[in-house]
Amino acid sequence: MKKDIFSATWWKALCAIFLIYTCVAGFLLPVPALPILHESIRNLYFHVCMWFAMIFILTVSLVNSIRYLMNATEDRDIIASQCVNAGMVFGVLGLITGSLWARYTWGAWWINDPKLNGAAISILSYFAYIVLRGSIDDEQRKARVSAVYNIFAYVMMIVFIMIYPRLNNVDSLHPGNGGNPGFNSYDLDSHMRMVFYPAVIGWLLLCVWVASINIRTERIKRYYLNKNV
Amino acid sequence: MFDFSSLLYRMNQTIAIIQRELRHELRSRKSWLAILLYIGSTVYISYLAFQHDLEPITWNALFWILIIFISMFAASGSFAGREGEMLYIYTLVSPRKFILARLVYNGLFMFFVSIMALIGFIFFVGYPLSNAMVFLANMILTVWGISSLLTMAFAISSKGGGGFTLMAVISFPLMVPLLITAQHLSGMCLQGSELDNAGGYLASILALDGIIVALCYLLFAYLWRD
Repeated sequence: MKKDIFSATWWKALCAIFLIYTCVAGFLLPVPALPILHESIRNLYFHVCMWFAMIFILTVSLVNSIRYLMNATEDRDIIASQCVNAGMVFGVLGLITGSLWARYTWGAWWINDPKLNGAAISILSYFAYIVLRGSIDDEQRKARVSAVYNIFAYVMMIVFIMIYPRLNNVDSLHPGNGGNPGFNSYDLDSHMRMVFYPAVIGWLLLCVWVASINIRTERIKRYYLNKNV
Repeated sequence: MFDFSSLLYRMNQTIAIIQRELRHELRSRKSWLAILLYIGSTVYISYLAFQHDLEPITWNALFWILIIFISMFAASGSFAGREGEMLYIYTLVSPRKFILARLVYNGLFMFFVSIMALIGFIFFVGYPLSNAMVFLANMILTVWGISSLLTMAFAISSKGGGGFTLMAVISFPLMVPLLITAQHLSGMCLQGSELDNAGGYLASILALDGIIVALCYLLFAYLWRD
C-alpha cells in the first residue's frame, strides 16, 4: 500500500474545523431578512454545499472513467466507482435537506419542478450505475462497461440539472431561477459569505474523505483478493 | 448474405451494413408483425376503453408511452440472439462504422414505425393536432434520439447480461430529458396554444440528439472489445 494524500491528517482536521464552524456560525450569525425565505436561507450552508460536493466528486469519477478507457488500470476503476458511491450519499443528503426546506418554504415536500425533476433523475441514473456494476461479474468487463455508462450519465446529468432548467419557457420555483431570490447576487451579504465559503470547503472535504475511505478499503480488498488467487 | 463480403469491398461499409440490416428485417417478418401488433393493440384498447375521442393530454401520454415501448423493442432486436453474427461483423468493420450504421438504421426504422403509430392513433383515437408540421418534426427528432440512446443502452446491458430489465433501468433515467422536452412541445401542438418558442424546443431536442449520437459514436468502440 502506497502512502498518499489520502492518509494525511491535516485536511481531515481542517474539514472537521470548518464543519463545526458551519454548524455553529450557520445557526447563530445574522442573515438578511428576505420575504419568502426568512431564516430558511440558512439551508444555503447545507443543501447547496452538498450539491456542490456531489458534482465535484462525480466530476472526479468522470475523469477517472475517461482515464480508465484511455489506459485501463484497476486503480482508476476503483476511484471512479467509489467516487460515485460517495457522491450518491451526498446526493441523497442534498435531496433530504432540499425537501425539508421546501416543506417550510413552499409548503410541500416535493413539487413538480424542472430543477427538482432534474435532481431526482440524475440520482436515479447514478443508482442505475450501481445496479449495472452489481450485475456484471467479470471485473474488467464491469470496469469498462460502467466507465462508458458513467460518461453517458454524467453528460445527461449536466444537461438536466444545469441546462434544462435554464431554457426559456421552463419556469422553476427554485431559488436562482425566474426571479426567485438566489444565493448569488444581492442577497448574499458579508455575514453569509463568512459562513458560506468555509461551508463549501468543509462539505467538499468531507465528501473527499468519505470517498477516500471507500477507495482505500476497496484497494485493500482487491489487494488481498489478488494475493489469495 | 451471399454477396455481403464482396459488397464490403466495393461499397462504403456503413451503407453495406444498413442494407444488410434492412434485408434481415424484411426477411424476418416476426419483428414487423410484433410491432404492428403492439401498435394495433394499444390503439384498439384505448379506443375501446375511452369510447370517444381522447383528451389531448391523454392522447399525448399514450402516444409517447407507445413510442418508448416500440423503440425498446426495436433496439433490443438489434443485438439480441445475434451474437455469432455480430462476431462475424466485428471482424470485418470498425466499431465506429458499425455503430453509425446501426444508429442510422434504427433511426429510419423508428421513423417509419412512429409514422405508422401516428396513423393508427389518428384513425382510432382522434386527430387533435393543431400544428402537424411542428408535431412531425418533433416526433422525428425525438424518435431518432430515443432510438440511438436505446441502442447504446442495449449494447451496455447485453454486456451486463441483464437483458431487458437492466436495459430499462439504464435507459429510462437517461431518456427523460429528451422525453420531457418532446412531450412539452407536442402537448403545445395538441392543445393549440401559441407556438412562439417551437424553434427553441426543436433546437434543444436536436442538440440532445447530437450529444447522444456523439457519445454513442465515441464510446461504442470500448464496449465491443472483449
